[in-house]
Amino acid sequence: MLEITGLRKQFPGGKVALDGVGFEVRPGEMYGFVGANGAGKTTTMRIVMGVLQADAGQVAWHGRVLDAEVRKRIGYMPEERGLYQKMKVAEQIEYFGRLHGLSVAEARKASDDLIERLGLTERRGDEVEKLSLGNQQRVQLAVALVHDPEVLILDEPFSGLDPIAVDALVTVLQARARGGVPVIFSSHQLELVERLCDSVGIVSAGRMVATGPVEELRNAAGSALRVVVRGAAPGWADGLEGRLSADGDRETLLVAVGGDDQEVLRRAMKAGRVEHFGVERRSLTEIFKEAVA
Amino acid sequence: MSLTTVWLVAKREVTLTLRARAFKIGLFITALLVGAAAFAPTLLGGPDEYKIGLVNSKQLPMAQAVPDAKWDWVTFPDRAAATKAVLDGDVDVALVDDNKLLSDGEVDSKLGVMLQSVNRETKLGAAGVNVPPLAVESVGADTRYQGARMGIAFLFVIVLFGLVIQSATAVAMGVVEEKGSRIVEILLASLRPWQLLTGKVLGMGLVGLINMAVVLVVGLGAAVASGFAADFPPGMPGVIAGVLVWFVLGYAFFATFAASLGSLVSRQEEVQNVLGPMMMTIMITYGFSFYAAGDPTSTLATIVSMIPPLSSMVMPVRMAATTVPFWEVGLSMAFMVLAVAAMAALGSRVYERAVTRTGARVNLLSVLRER
Repeated sequence: MLEITGLRKQFPGGKVALDGVGFEVRPGEMYGFVGANGAGKTTTMRIVMGVLQADAGQVAWHGRVLDAEVRKRIGYMPEERGLYQKMKVAEQIEYFGRLHGLSVAEARKASDDLIERLGLTERRGDEVEKLSLGNQQRVQLAVALVHDPEVLILDEPFSGLDPIAVDALVTVLQARARGGVPVIFSSHQLELVERLCDSVGIVSAGRMVATGPVEELRNAAGSALRVVVRGAAPGWADGLEGRLSADGDRETLLVAVGGDDQEVLRRAMKAGRVEHFGVERRSLTEIFKEAVA
Repeated sequence: MSLTTVWLVAKREVTLTLRARAFKIGLFITALLVGAAAFAPTLLGGPDEYKIGLVNSKQLPMAQAVPDAKWDWVTFPDRAAATKAVLDGDVDVALVDDNKLLSDGEVDSKLGVMLQSVNRETKLGAAGVNVPPLAVESVGADTRYQGARMGIAFLFVIVLFGLVIQSATAVAMGVVEEKGSRIVEILLASLRPWQLLTGKVLGMGLVGLINMAVVLVVGLGAAVASGFAADFPPGMPGVIAGVLVWFVLGYAFFATFAASLGSLVSRQEEVQNVLGPMMMTIMITYGFSFYAAGDPTSTLATIVSMIPPLSSMVMPVRMAATTVPFWEVGLSMAFMVLAVAAMAALGSRVYERAVTRTGARVNLLSVLRER
């Protein structure tokens, strides 16, 4: 179990980046780490990797506080992609494998294997700078995976990727998770997090707002009445208790369950064309928006 | 294990640098320049040449008296023809009737003295007077090779200066590449900062030595081919070995300096700027070594060849230009080794703290002040 407890970090400028961030990730669990820009996701990950020192709090893996020796067995993908531009794909993956203590033969085998799984076979001899962004990201993931890490920490692994590349990465990550590796990744793509993750942590302004299995969070958040109306005049929902959001001429109203839902429906039908009306569990996106609001 | 890691880092630096086209072109140009420099003395220099006109006169035994110079004699029918040749510059002077010298203004003083003294000797000899030449006995150092030694010393100054700057800057660029792209964050999960730093410095140092070897091989080869090598002073292998050792020491100092300064910034554009203090130190060192190449036995040159890091360039130059006592070389080397160790301790301290602090330039003093 990876345990992160009570992380605090204040930068020299005085800004408090983390104020008590903590969560746990079990082996084989996919853990989504979400939060607005500047909420503290990257800072947390950099502290876990030892790039930054926390002012307080600790990180432990199987009860042992992380040190250089343990960190060697973690796979890490930083937010800003870090690869040697002039090195060739296979050469680069092997190099990082060797640095992690693999023999020449082991590094080559691991690299070959990852190149094939990530669909880079045709680019293996190309210099990284000649690769598309998506392919560079695949190489980056290969670098994080080459030494068969016990823990995976990935900062925004899916940002800027097309759906095919996302699928390729997801397949590889899920395979690792099935093998018992805890996978922690941060993301802005909440639908993706909801689809992939067993658990999520929501961080806002350096504080942990929520953490736990996705199902539990959704159950705790309860259900809501969701009404979608097209072409409604402004102000149609005035006086109704709920949150209104618009997407073009489609307006979505979320109302707490237990009120006069028939009155809501009548108002909606009068206002425009009702496309959707029903009681639903809250989506992760909604939970996130409320949590960080 | 830890040294294997250092070697992996170094090997990567060497492989990637040798593969780069810019490196190959640079090495080719350097080899070309060094080769040309070795041929230059034969092309530019050469012995003094004199052309003397004769009108109704016998040749003086100049070649016998001054064998180093080349003497040409041209006979003219009359004084008018000789005068025209002197004025046109076809001959340097013209000897008329064995007793008169025609010249265009003043006679070149060296030529004048030689002609006058040989003329005097010849006339006296003809009169039966025999003046034995003065026997020369040197009580100072052997100065026969002064010129060659000085030339070689100057060459070494330039080569050392160029190589140290090039290699140290390359180390700084590499540090910034890793910092700016956050590669260093991945690297530091698997190795310690000192391993990364040592590996980089070692790797670029090996590249520098390869450079140096090419310069030496091409330079010596061309010197042998041009016949310039015949003028080499004795003890050249020792001088070359000294240059290599001093290169390693000087490079270790400046490269670590460059790496620690490089770790303060995150963008390649800032490298030249942040390297200012190192460049300044190298320029001062270069200035002193240039001075020492010209005046290797002066008190100032002797003192400066003891002070690190100035000694890293001044001492090899003095060793090439003159004979330096063993104890001076040993003491100077010991000081330099201490300076390298101090720079390594200080540099890795800065590097370790600054290299993960991306963004704005990190303040050097604040890094040093941290606990």
